[in-house]
Amino acid sequence: MNVLDPAGPDAGRLAELSWILFIGGGAIFALVLAITFFAMQGSDRSRKRLSGNWLVWTGGIAFPVAVLTGLLVYGLLLMGAESRPAEPDLRVHVEGRQWWWRVSYEEPDGSRLESANEIRIPLGREVEFVLTSPDVIHSFWVPSLGGKLDMIPGRTNRLRLTADRPGVYRGQCAEYCGGPHALMALEVIAMPAGEFDAWRAQASSPVENAPARGGELFLATGCGSCHTVRGTSAAGTIGPDLSRLGERRQLAAARLPMSAENIARFITHGQDIKPGNLMPEFRFLTADETAAIASYLAELK
Amino acid sequence: MKPPSSLPNTLPRPRSELAKLKAVWHLPSGWRTITAVNNTVVGYFYIATAFLFFLLAGILGLLIRTQLAVPENTFLSQDTYNQIFTMHGTVMMFLFAVPAVEAMGILLLPQMLGARDLPFPRLGAFAFWAYFVGGLVFFSTLFFGAAPSGGWFMYPPLTGMKFSPGIGADFWLLGIGFIEISAIAGAIEIIVGVLKTRAPGMTLTRMPVFAWTMLIFAGMIVFAFPAVILATILLELERAFGWPFFIPERGGDALLWQHLFWFFGHPEVYIIFLPAAGMVSMIVPTMAGVPLVGYRLIVVALIATGFFSFGLWVHHMFTTGIPARSLGFFSAASMAVAIPSGIQVFAWIATIASGRLKLTAASLFVLGFLFVFTLGGLTGVMVAMVPFDWQAHDTYFVVAHFHYVLFGGMVFPLFAAFYYWAPAFSRRQLSERLGKWAFWLIFIGFNTAFLPMHVTGLIGMPRRVYTYPAGLGWDTLNMVSTIGAFLVAAGVLVFLVDLVRNLRLTNTDSVGNVWNAGTLEWLPNHAFGTRSVPFVNSLYPIWSTRDLARDVERGGYFLPGTATGSRETIVTSAVNAEPQYVMRVSGPGWAHLSAAVFTAAFFLLLTAKLVIIAVACGILAIASIFIWMRQSDPAPAGKAAIGGGISLPTYMSGPMSHSWWAMVVLSLVAGALYLSYVFSYLYLWTVVPDVWPRPDSLPGLPVLAVSGLAASAVALWAADRCVRLGRRGAFIGLVAVGVVALIASLAADIWSQWHAGIRPDTSGYTAMVYANAVLQAQIVAAVFCMALFAAFRAATGRVDSLRRVAFDNLALFWLFALGQGALGLLLTHGFPRMAAAL
Amino acid sequence: MSRVEALRRFLVRRWKPIAAGAAALALLAASGGVLVAWSGLYSVAASKGHWLVIDRFLRFGMMNSVETHAPDVEPPPLDDADLIRLGAAHYYAGCAYCHGAPGLAMTPVAQHMLPAPPDLTSHVSLWTDQELFWLVKHGLKYTGMPGWPVQNRDDEVWAVVAFLRQMPDMTQQTYRDLALAEVEAEPQGGEEIARGNAPDAVSACARCHGDEAGPPKSELVPVLHGQPREMLENALRAYLSGERSSGIMQTAASGLSSDEVAELAVYYAGLEPPRRTIDTAALSGHGRELAESGDPARRIPACMSCHSESALPVYPRLAGQNARYIANRLKAWQAGQTARTDTAAIMVPIARLLTDDDIAAVSDYFSSLPQAGGAGR
Repeated sequence: MNVLDPAGPDAGRLAELSWILFIGGGAIFALVLAITFFAMQGSDRSRKRLSGNWLVWTGGIAFPVAVLTGLLVYGLLLMGAESRPAEPDLRVHVEGRQWWWRVSYEEPDGSRLESANEIRIPLGREVEFVLTSPDVIHSFWVPSLGGKLDMIPGRTNRLRLTADRPGVYRGQCAEYCGGPHALMALEVIAMPAGEFDAWRAQASSPVENAPARGGELFLATGCGSCHTVRGTSAAGTIGPDLSRLGERRQLAAARLPMSAENIARFITHGQDIKPGNLMPEFRFLTADETAAIASYLAELK
Repeated sequence: MKPPSSLPNTLPRPRSELAKLKAVWHLPSGWRTITAVNNTVVGYFYIATAFLFFLLAGILGLLIRTQLAVPENTFLSQDTYNQIFTMHGTVMMFLFAVPAVEAMGILLLPQMLGARDLPFPRLGAFAFWAYFVGGLVFFSTLFFGAAPSGGWFMYPPLTGMKFSPGIGADFWLLGIGFIEISAIAGAIEIIVGVLKTRAPGMTLTRMPVFAWTMLIFAGMIVFAFPAVILATILLELERAFGWPFFIPERGGDALLWQHLFWFFGHPEVYIIFLPAAGMVSMIVPTMAGVPLVGYRLIVVALIATGFFSFGLWVHHMFTTGIPARSLGFFSAASMAVAIPSGIQVFAWIATIASGRLKLTAASLFVLGFLFVFTLGGLTGVMVAMVPFDWQAHDTYFVVAHFHYVLFGGMVFPLFAAFYYWAPAFSRRQLSERLGKWAFWLIFIGFNTAFLPMHVTGLIGMPRRVYTYPAGLGWDTLNMVSTIGAFLVAAGVLVFLVDLVRNLRLTNTDSVGNVWNAGTLEWLPNHAFGTRSVPFVNSLYPIWSTRDLARDVERGGYFLPGTATGSRETIVTSAVNAEPQYVMRVSGPGWAHLSAAVFTAAFFLLLTAKLVIIAVACGILAIASIFIWMRQSDPAPAGKAAIGGGISLPTYMSGPMSHSWWAMVVLSLVAGALYLSYVFSYLYLWTVVPDVWPRPDSLPGLPVLAVSGLAASAVALWAADRCVRLGRRGAFIGLVAVGVVALIASLAADIWSQWHAGIRPDTSGYTAMVYANAVLQAQIVAAVFCMALFAAFRAATGRVDSLRRVAFDNLALFWLFALGQGALGLLLTHGFPRMAAAL
Repeated sequence: MSRVEALRRFLVRRWKPIAAGAAALALLAASGGVLVAWSGLYSVAASKGHWLVIDRFLRFGMMNSVETHAPDVEPPPLDDADLIRLGAAHYYAGCAYCHGAPGLAMTPVAQHMLPAPPDLTSHVSLWTDQELFWLVKHGLKYTGMPGWPVQNRDDEVWAVVAFLRQMPDMTQQTYRDLALAEVEAEPQGGEEIARGNAPDAVSACARCHGDEAGPPKSELVPVLHGQPREMLENALRAYLSGERSSGIMQTAASGLSSDEVAELAVYYAGLEPPRRTIDTAALSGHGRELAESGDPARRIPACMSCHSESALPVYPRLAGQNARYIANRLKAWQAGQTARTDTAAIMVPIARLLTDDDIAAVSDYFSSLPQAGGAGR
């Protein structure tokens, strides 16, 4: 995640702007230091030349007015480039929640494909992120792909991004949202359009042949009241959708790498791993039961 | 005023004159020192307290840096960290920065302007004590785990009852709201002081830049702070009673808070920076030995900064999804504000070039300021670029930027000021050697800590995170920042050693003008300021008037003793500084002190939900204020000769008097508060017009309320006639009738809304309707207390056609209450009808 | 005026010696007190009683202290039969020994305490409800009157207050019916009395929770019949360890051995659930909605996910449970009772999301829902 290492045209324009600002700013800073140095240590003649009102007029008024006007026009042009009226290639609804991300892809047939904390996008296609929040203000930010936009309760914001380089790009909530705000991250996986389409086609169908005992325990423990696993009676929408949990690279809003062991740890000791998160700890489960649930979830892929 | 051709008073002066002056201005000693009100004593207390909060908040900063030194650190728990960063920001901004510059103003202004004291010494002392008690209690919430944890800008809904059910947010809202009231009290004092108590001859164009910056500083407080006070009132009403101003699902709006907060928050940055720039404009000419280049341009630049700073609050909201068109305007304004800063930077450079800069510790801190602040200004232009801000906003880049601007723009100048002005108040100069050590440690440490943060932010680290994972490239940079932070701490420690070893505060025998400076604060100083009040003929009177210090000290200038036998200072006209009258200022006392303590107790106990004790403290506070006010407004004492053949009145009422000016400023504060409310009302309507009612569900036209206001206005007019005619009994009756009519008008309006079935907790709209009543009730309560006081004064024969300040003050605020009441009725009854017709 | 003024002047002039004198007196008094205690001259014998003046003084102080500290809260309705029954049961176990009960005299041992415990049948009327509540909850220092065993179960304390209000007019029979319910101790022969084999009715669970013969008599007491064995066992162990707090249950469980706990759990798990009259109205509507689907917008999960027949046996079944017990439990958590067991840690945050309407609806729903047979779990 690096502003100056863009993976798409939107971030690219911003990186270019950043370089212009840094180089220009550096030059101006060096100039001011040089003038100050001459004002202190220069020969009497050069010092006398610097001592008039003209310096204030040129350095303090004329020069900044010129530079700032140029910058402003450049900035407005860049902002103009961001507003695109045409229909996007893909629309992904992202809901910031304390402290994870609900992700829901608009399918071509109008239905939704639910997921969480990881977003897959096709390379070269423009994606519109529809950003909302049901609780407090969050901010959606994937530096390698573009600027951030807040997710504000009661409002809907739209952000368009395109990736043109395959890879995994980390993003993080950028507006303080209380408690474990620091541990609310996500990953965007940019993949070739063909692969993306193939993934999307099979992702909406339930996973077959996941371990049966873990699945039963998952339901008996009540996990389904908050989590959905497509194809089972677990249909909760309070927590993240787990239908394809095993397929994700990370766990708990990019807090831990995905593995059955980590899932098990999170089930029993989630408050140690991500203090303040809203999932209770299920400490009464035996190690065996926890492992069974965890391996069931890890196999959902 | 023409310069006097010879000294206004003949020399030598009779010996008894000085003895009497000393006796009148005698400082209480021992533990009674806390009753002192002299600007120097209160100034020392004030600066010491502000500096204490700088150290405390600095320690919090070190805790933050320690936690972030390595990834996945467990040094601080998540909740503790969230409280600590909230307190670090809040304490630095509200308990250190603003009070510190206000303190510098209170300490330096009378000396610099040639006044004996500020016009309302007890108000200044009240502001200090309220801040002292309130600040310490607020800070100590940290030790009980009850500190706020919503960040220093406290965005709802996170800080609403649902997501922050604890008491911490209430401490923030009531505690900070209260401390801002104290800041406003100080601002009123400073505005009247700068405009009305300058030495004869010190026209606005001969006024030191620091005084200009303090005037603009105070003016900005008057207009900016009410916005955040309103915001805190609304959020506290929401938290306590469920009035949904900021809850979107109930017809409120979360962004309303951000607009109000940043309408205050952005000017706040300049409120802190401008006086610091003013200090630099005082230090540079002295250290270079030449007058400031571009004085007039600088003054224009300062005023421009003051104006611009109110037009760019949205630049903190570039990522909220506000339409691009309006972003363009705010982007332009944000950039434009860089120009006045550029003017000042180049004016200082030109001044340095025109003289020869002595490299003292103070100069080093000024040069450090130039370096750090210029960098901060440049990154400021960067974040003013909307597209760049989309990336940089809420990351460590912004953390770096605002520390460059605030630490660079305010703390470096403050240290320069300590080294520069210490000789004017201390028996010993601060050590140049230790000062230079402190400077280099702080300078190197600061840049080590904050320069890397620009990069940390750009590679993705958001601010306000209590920990971060390893392997994202943030580890080394954070460790470097932490090391830098501890270097800064070491530098501050060296400075503290210097203070302990060398600072010996005094009111009689300071080292004096060691830098050969040209402004009045370097004249020989006493508890009463200078022995006589000089005539000012230039920006640098000590440079331009031969033997000024000697003649002032011998009593050759104006008012070399006391004319009425009490503490006095000369009041001059606002622009040309023509002497107008001799004003008597108050001396030490207990009433303002207990008023401050009880006011603080009222707010803090209210937070702790100890309502009954809180109300008792509130009553005691009002009683204290009554006792305090009873001792103000002394009877006219004839004419006083101040020398040079000038004889001045000793009592003044109406637009020339200092209390009239103070009441006008206070009305401006109340007006700004109300305008913020009007903005909020209209803003909320643009966001959620659906919750505004159709005309048929509104209460009927407010005939009763309007007639109440009209009756009250008539009573006010008639009361004014009675004062002129000296009819005491009728006067008291009319005041009573008028105030009752005012209260009745408010009550009638509330009743009509309630009767129409409108309840405050239904929607954003209904909450706004009752918020109007709350604001009006505040004003009416104040008018009620003032009327009680005026009636009491009249009953005891202390109000007549000449001595009428008690009534004038009441009348001004009464008029304000009538105006606000009428505007409120127009808004709450007229606007929904108009909106429905649209 | 002049006198006041003279006094003022005197005080201003002489405040230092006056203050010094006062301080010296205070010091003297304090050291005198230490001396008396150190000498041991004062007798702490309870047999002698207090000197009359001291006695009156202490009573005066006690009465005022209770009056001052009694909370300013609205009591729950105290004429509530369920509440009175619960209070009677606890009074029987915890209070009667010292204070006597309808038809039962105070024991001589208790009468020789200092101060002697009052006969409550005549003393209850001296206090307001809030004062009684405070007395029962906090006890009285230096008197032998204990505070309630836990400080976070105001609902239990109110039950005792409700009973105390009724006690003065109560017959012995009514009292025994309330306090002992089904566990009527049979009239005993001389031998049994002599050997001391009388059944210990105090610790009998059935007094409150019922047995084969029927469900609890008080709606405020949970139905244990047919609950999962694990859940029952966990609950008793949590009372024993103090993880669950209840002045009543912790006292009742305190004498149980580990084996007895297991046996008890098996016993109740195997009881046939009681048949209840079904309120079909309560079976539809908001309660059912919450039970089956929860309210995701408010982050309330469906109750049934954990409280149905197919859930893990660590979770209690709610079908057929007493509505008042469910509501009381949820409200106690809302009122700030902390969660110290693993399962309560899950439930408490959920309880705090519920409104009063939610609680009423789900409680009625579950109490009307027929419970499946519980034998053998």
